[in-house]
Amino acid sequence: MVERLDEGWIARGVRRAPFDRFLLWAAPWAALLALGAYAIFLCLRDGLFHTNMDNRYVFGLWIFLDLAVIALGAGAFFTGFLLYVLRKTELRAVINSAVVIGLVCYSGAVLILAVDVGQPLRAWFTFYHPNVHSMLTEVTFCITCYLTVLWIEYVPIFLKNRRLALKPSMLVFEYNLHKVMVVFALIGTLLSFFHQGSLGGLFGVLRGRPFAFREGLLIWPSTFFLFVLSAMAVGPSFLALTTWMAEKVTRRRLVKDEVYQTLGRISGKLLLAYVFFKCLDTLLWINQTAPERGFPAHRFYEYGGAFGTWILFTEIALLGLVPALLLLKPEWRARRGLLIAGAAMACLGVTLNRFVFTIQTLALPTLPFDRLLLYWPSWQEFAAFGFVLAYGMLVYSFSYRYLKLFPQERELAMTEAKR
Amino acid sequence: MFPWVYGFEWHPGYLIFLGVFFTVAVVVAGTVLYALWRSFRAVHRKQEGRIYWHTVFEDLAPEERRCRHAITGELPERCCDREFDCRGCRMHARLLYSDEAGARAAASEQAEVCGISLPLDRYYHRGHTWVREGEDGALLVGLDGLGRRLAGGDGIVELPAPGTELRVNEPAFRLRRNGVEARILSPVDGTVEGPACDGEALIRVRPAAGFHTAHLLRGGEAAAWMRHELDRLQVALAASCGAATLADGGGAAPDLGRSLAPREFDTACGLVFLDV
Repeated sequence: MVERLDEGWIARGVRRAPFDRFLLWAAPWAALLALGAYAIFLCLRDGLFHTNMDNRYVFGLWIFLDLAVIALGAGAFFTGFLLYVLRKTELRAVINSAVVIGLVCYSGAVLILAVDVGQPLRAWFTFYHPNVHSMLTEVTFCITCYLTVLWIEYVPIFLKNRRLALKPSMLVFEYNLHKVMVVFALIGTLLSFFHQGSLGGLFGVLRGRPFAFREGLLIWPSTFFLFVLSAMAVGPSFLALTTWMAEKVTRRRLVKDEVYQTLGRISGKLLLAYVFFKCLDTLLWINQTAPERGFPAHRFYEYGGAFGTWILFTEIALLGLVPALLLLKPEWRARRGLLIAGAAMACLGVTLNRFVFTIQTLALPTLPFDRLLLYWPSWQEFAAFGFVLAYGMLVYSFSYRYLKLFPQERELAMTEAKR
Repeated sequence: MFPWVYGFEWHPGYLIFLGVFFTVAVVVAGTVLYALWRSFRAVHRKQEGRIYWHTVFEDLAPEERRCRHAITGELPERCCDREFDCRGCRMHARLLYSDEAGARAAASEQAEVCGISLPLDRYYHRGHTWVREGEDGALLVGLDGLGRRLAGGDGIVELPAPGTELRVNEPAFRLRRNGVEARILSPVDGTVEGPACDGEALIRVRPAAGFHTAHLLRGGEAAAWMRHELDRLQVALAASCGAATLADGGGAAPDLGRSLAPREFDTACGLVFLDV
């Protein structure tokens, strides 16, 4: 009975795992979600003392998570921009998936921010008392607006569910919303550009933190532009990676090879540009910005261990230049293993970059009597992190099962059946 | 300017920042309202059917959107971009089957494809309905052989009420069977007069002024199309359910609703009636 009901919601002509197997897949994620919900409840009820953050270490795992998922979720705005504005029509095959990933990433980030601020009921203060000189205000405004845009972009995907589409009014609204999607794509691009940039700018303007402080253009430090560029570069890579993972988990082909090639090529070009500008920025920082603040750059790496020079090399060369080359060279990109390895390395690279700016910046001493601070998150922080991960997996899994995330799936299944 | 913003000052920073923010908010809200208004207008003008078919057609795979002239081999690989409405298609007008003698000959023949009889005295629609002109000028509309095998004896075909305006490629009937519901497209423009008395036909339709049949299949191309459809059905069932249904040289089961598992039947209905 339940299985018949379940089948009624699944799109025609595609294969999905039996309902019991799907439940088996969802159960561990639901358990992780429940644990995370409990941790979040503790933090909201009792306060942030449940975390290992303090007045000295104010950014921890959560802000790192926020920065990382927002960068990885950039595929949503960038794919929308490429498809609706630049008319890269082959990306139609992954736009729905990109929107779901973007929605998961941004809503997860906002949720964690709400916990991190500790007073979610006062979230409206930031809109009513905006400090227009603060990068954080810009981030808050842009993320809130963009999350709204992502929900609106998700609506047509949701309304295309087989059962909902039976209602003519739903179908008509879906159609008309789809017609104006270019407006949302443009707004999404504008908002994403500014909040990705402002997230970078947050660190670049920290004059008291010479490790992160950067010069820039007008009011924007160089990190503003580097964050935008790096997010644009890894967005398509993350999309390719998640699509590949979905194919592996479901054991079905979901998009054509040309889609992977397009995503890889775009990501590779942008990543190379990012690595070039990142190198320039780092050289400028080593030779000018840091010494002018009284800190020769080598002193930031004298602590060794977790924060040695290896981290700089890994971020720029190993997880920047290498994946850029893997994704750029057509012969390498044509091999799926190398393409996915390149995409995964690019994603790890940007994640490491966000880790460096969040964690390393706060760990390094800035005053003569300061020591290197080490921080290890509490279980509540890990559990809240797990909550976002589980939430993302569940939303994506349910969306894949009941919505048309990959429009080429039917066609590819038929092509394979023909063979 | 923004009296509701606490501590607002007439300062360029405030004006630019809040100006951009409120502009974005207004554009987002305005665009959603515009989409809602267009939706209400479309429903009011009864355009749901047209929108439904437009949406479905976009979701069809290229193989499913093959042009009728690709199926007959005249223009291999050509895909339809006119939503199966050949009435305004220049290419179709150029290739239009104009052999009147051949058409007359076809009128007396009956083709058979994999056990499915295909009387050639009528026009066929890509959604597996047919149209035949009645003696009084009314059009008789019914399900073709494959459609009837899906409906079977116990399938319920919901007919449009007399007086309903039908438009080509918009949903006209609904088939309900085995818990599956499929919309069946109208092959004609016109007004429903009522159920047909003819055994095979479902309804009688008074054609709209200027209605013509250029978008419908007839004669030899209908037989080629039916072969293509059965191939497509077999492939789609294998793709969605992992089961082949026809062996080479075999025929379609007389009642597909009974011989196919529910999931296969659902796939077959969607594919045959173009309700994906």
